[in-house]
Amino acid sequence: MYSAEAKSLANEQVPEPAKQRPRSDRWETFPPSWLSHHGGACCELAREWVIAMDFAQLGGADRASGPRWLRQKYKWGPSPWPMHWCEVVKRDTIDCGAHSALAHAAFTARGLTALPVQLVQSYSLDAADQWRGSWQAEGVSCHWLDGDHIYHEATGLLTGTDELRIWDGSAGSWVNPRQGSGYGSLVALRVFSDGEGGPLELGWGEQRVQVNSWNQLRR
Amino acid sequence: MKIIVSGLYSGGNPQPGVGIVRSLRLGFPSATLVGVEYSTRVSGIHWGELDELWIQRPWDELDLDAYGDKVRGILAGGAFWISGSDLEAMWLATLYPEGHPNLLAPPAAALGRIAKPAVEAHRGLPVEVPVFVSTDLPDWDLHAFCRQHNWRVWLKGPYYDAARTPSWDSFVAVRNALTKVWSTDRLFLQAHVSGYEESVMLAAYQGELLGCVSMRKRDITPEGKTWAGDVSGVDPAFEAPLREMVRAINWTGGGEVEMIRDAAGKLWLLEMNPRFPAWVHGATITGHNLPALLVQAAAGVAARTAEPQGSEFTRVVLEVPVRPDYPLPALPEPFAGAIGHSMKHPSGLTMLAQRLHAAVPNGIVIEDGASDDNGAPTVPQTVLADVAAHDFAAMATPQFLFLESTAEDLFKRASDRARRLSDNQVQVASGYSIKTNPDERLIRLALEHGFMAEAISLLEVQTALQVGFRPDQVILNGPGKWWPEGLMLRERMHAVFCDSVADLDRCVAAIGAGKMSSRHVGVRLRTPNVVSRFGIPLDSPGTFGTLIESIGRLPQDTAFGVHFHMASSNIGVAQWWHLFESMLKWCSSIERLGGRRIEILDMGGGWFPDDWHSAENSRFDQAVERVKEVLPGVRQIVSEPGKAMAQPSMAVAMRILEIQEHEDQSVEAVVDGSIAELPMFAFQPHRILRQCGTSGELQPLGRGKVHLMGRLCMEHDIVAANVALPDGTQAGDLLIFCDAGGYDRSMSYVFGRG
Repeated sequence: MYSAEAKSLANEQVPEPAKQRPRSDRWETFPPSWLSHHGGACCELAREWVIAMDFAQLGGADRASGPRWLRQKYKWGPSPWPMHWCEVVKRDTIDCGAHSALAHAAFTARGLTALPVQLVQSYSLDAADQWRGSWQAEGVSCHWLDGDHIYHEATGLLTGTDELRIWDGSAGSWVNPRQGSGYGSLVALRVFSDGEGGPLELGWGEQRVQVNSWNQLRR
Repeated sequence: MKIIVSGLYSGGNPQPGVGIVRSLRLGFPSATLVGVEYSTRVSGIHWGELDELWIQRPWDELDLDAYGDKVRGILAGGAFWISGSDLEAMWLATLYPEGHPNLLAPPAAALGRIAKPAVEAHRGLPVEVPVFVSTDLPDWDLHAFCRQHNWRVWLKGPYYDAARTPSWDSFVAVRNALTKVWSTDRLFLQAHVSGYEESVMLAAYQGELLGCVSMRKRDITPEGKTWAGDVSGVDPAFEAPLREMVRAINWTGGGEVEMIRDAAGKLWLLEMNPRFPAWVHGATITGHNLPALLVQAAAGVAARTAEPQGSEFTRVVLEVPVRPDYPLPALPEPFAGAIGHSMKHPSGLTMLAQRLHAAVPNGIVIEDGASDDNGAPTVPQTVLADVAAHDFAAMATPQFLFLESTAEDLFKRASDRARRLSDNQVQVASGYSIKTNPDERLIRLALEHGFMAEAISLLEVQTALQVGFRPDQVILNGPGKWWPEGLMLRERMHAVFCDSVADLDRCVAAIGAGKMSSRHVGVRLRTPNVVSRFGIPLDSPGTFGTLIESIGRLPQDTAFGVHFHMASSNIGVAQWWHLFESMLKWCSSIERLGGRRIEILDMGGGWFPDDWHSAENSRFDQAVERVKEVLPGVRQIVSEPGKAMAQPSMAVAMRILEIQEHEDQSVEAVVDGSIAELPMFAFQPHRILRQCGTSGELQPLGRGKVHLMGRLCMEHDIVAANVALPDGTQAGDLLIFCDAGGYDRSMSYVFGRG
């Protein structure tokens, strides 16, 4: 769920959420996940395979189609970090950080502008308990759980000059910009963009979101 | 106020009647809502909010004139009528072609302008209609349409019903079924558009748009029908032209514009329905009660405002009590030994369709773009001349005919193209796939026109050598290339492509031991996104790694190459070109990771002749340029057109033995040919010529009601279905099945000949 750099920042003790603070506060300093590269043939082969397979799976469809085959091949679930290219392709199960990193690589290789996206979603304490159990059973950090809220990662796709679509690789679907409340709804999102001269604000559905900062979504 | 509502079917693919009733009840709590239906098997008649029921006999029994008089009386009495059925709305439009103030359904002219699939009225909307053709076209052209659209096509009925037809035999089967159900040959074939379905529902009265709402499907039934959705306002860029359209066609009633939004965000129009959609009440509970708006406009009585309860809706399954006055009818007895009860269209809608055809032959417009020649295909003059050159008088049938000048022309064109595409950097060559048709005349033509001989067994290699190919003009391929034992050439071949890692190891060992020699040794890649049993798989990083590793074992003194093959006629033309691009990417990765430069790229195949020979030269030009760009080490591109060379080069002549005319007007003609001579009958259409017994003229057969039954005592030996035999056809007449020189010839078998 997070990159190697983020590991040291994660607080394994889940604090009680403060009432007024934005739900994204806990993940304010989290960078988006990236796959590491050993610098050798092992990782290069894995990366080449993902890119070539992604293009093959497109089957002539539009380049902006979501790479759903990745979700079909890799179940969503706990995975340990840091993770290298040669490791991620061998796993049966990967978390949202790995899913979003793979989708980012796929979109980028297709010649599209992909942006890492961090999300905070609202679920329930029951759901969080279930996930905590699964993650702990694998010995993987649960820092992404905070009460009934969760930290999640996805991949933004820039369309037009400043329009955003968000691909949730873990779900194999596009995030609905119109669902602002309830189970699974989006509470906050942060889009990373390091492109110089790129837009500072993006349109997502009927909303405008600032890049590189958490946006608390209206409810 | 009395409002009649029809279309109460509430099964898995429901009509909107119950939703309309629920919405009207919210808008007009004291209105008298009357359900009209044509079968008591329709579960919506038991919905508790209906005040009255008016059950009619099914459409196949109804006296339409008498029923029309009753409907006129009801409307004249002040009741309103909202139709929830397309066909009923069409029939109502025959009663009131210009509309009626109380008939809340479109007038006849408006229905004509939304007729599927062109939906002529859509012009101003920001949508495009997916490409379509009428099934009136010759089978030859329909097969071409399917190939052009990668077999991602839908065969659709004139009013309802649509089925994916991913292969020729499925197309033929569905066409037969839909033709029978809807009593018309006028179906259409439409290209699939991948994306998310969304709809705009509207209500209008006498050309004024009263309201509209957008819905995106969030959950669907197995048939693709809405089960849940989210509802929002319509984009102003859509609403403005929609308002104009409604005005232009003077729309009255509900309506639904069904669309697909593709990955690029473009909207494609599937159809426009002349009624509210089945999810109509889903919109009402989000605050958009369009049925109430419609009645409000027609009656001048204010409806209660709809309070939004959310922005999304979903369906649940409900059990309701059955009205005692309308007890459930018995389930029909399954046909003896059959499975299921066969109850589709309980109200006889399909019969209404048939009656509408008869009552208003010009009242239902099905955009066609069809040919005037009754589906008869165009047969090239060279083929006609080649066929005519045979002396049939003394010919025993069935008999394969070699079409000499046609064949020569095909090889010459391929040769010219290869020469034109070659330059100092890259030579483009063609490969003749011997298995497609091992006839010596074709192999010789291949030799004379500079082809390589592509063999999949050592026997095929021997055949090529016997005709005159040199070993260094032979390419050996396939999983069984070592068969039969002991025939492997010691002389240097042009190229050998390994079908598996084990095959590669065997080749490496044989080369090392001096038992085999080839200028190029390479691998065949298994297509990763199209199911195939051939080649080395790429489906996991592990298998890909194994391939890379094994390439390292290939001898350094042979040039390296890659081969891929997938029948373009099976996966479609655009899909094949995508596969080509995809393979270039894999090749590029293989070069980078394996450290071997690719010097020969061999690609096939299975091209339908028209796709290969008629394709724009620019597409092949681009392909060669792409190879040079991505794989600069390639020195030779071998293109294997497969059946594109062989298929047109032969025909099968057969004679009619007997013509049987049946009571249902169908005709069965028994011929002395069979599927043993035409084993590809299920995979592709054949253009058929009949030689006129008196003039000798060759006449292409169009579509009709004749089945050509083969001579074999095999139930499925039907060599052609639904063809028309020209007047005067009789037993003894000659039929020539063209396009039989590919696998029809090479896979034909001896059967029923004693």
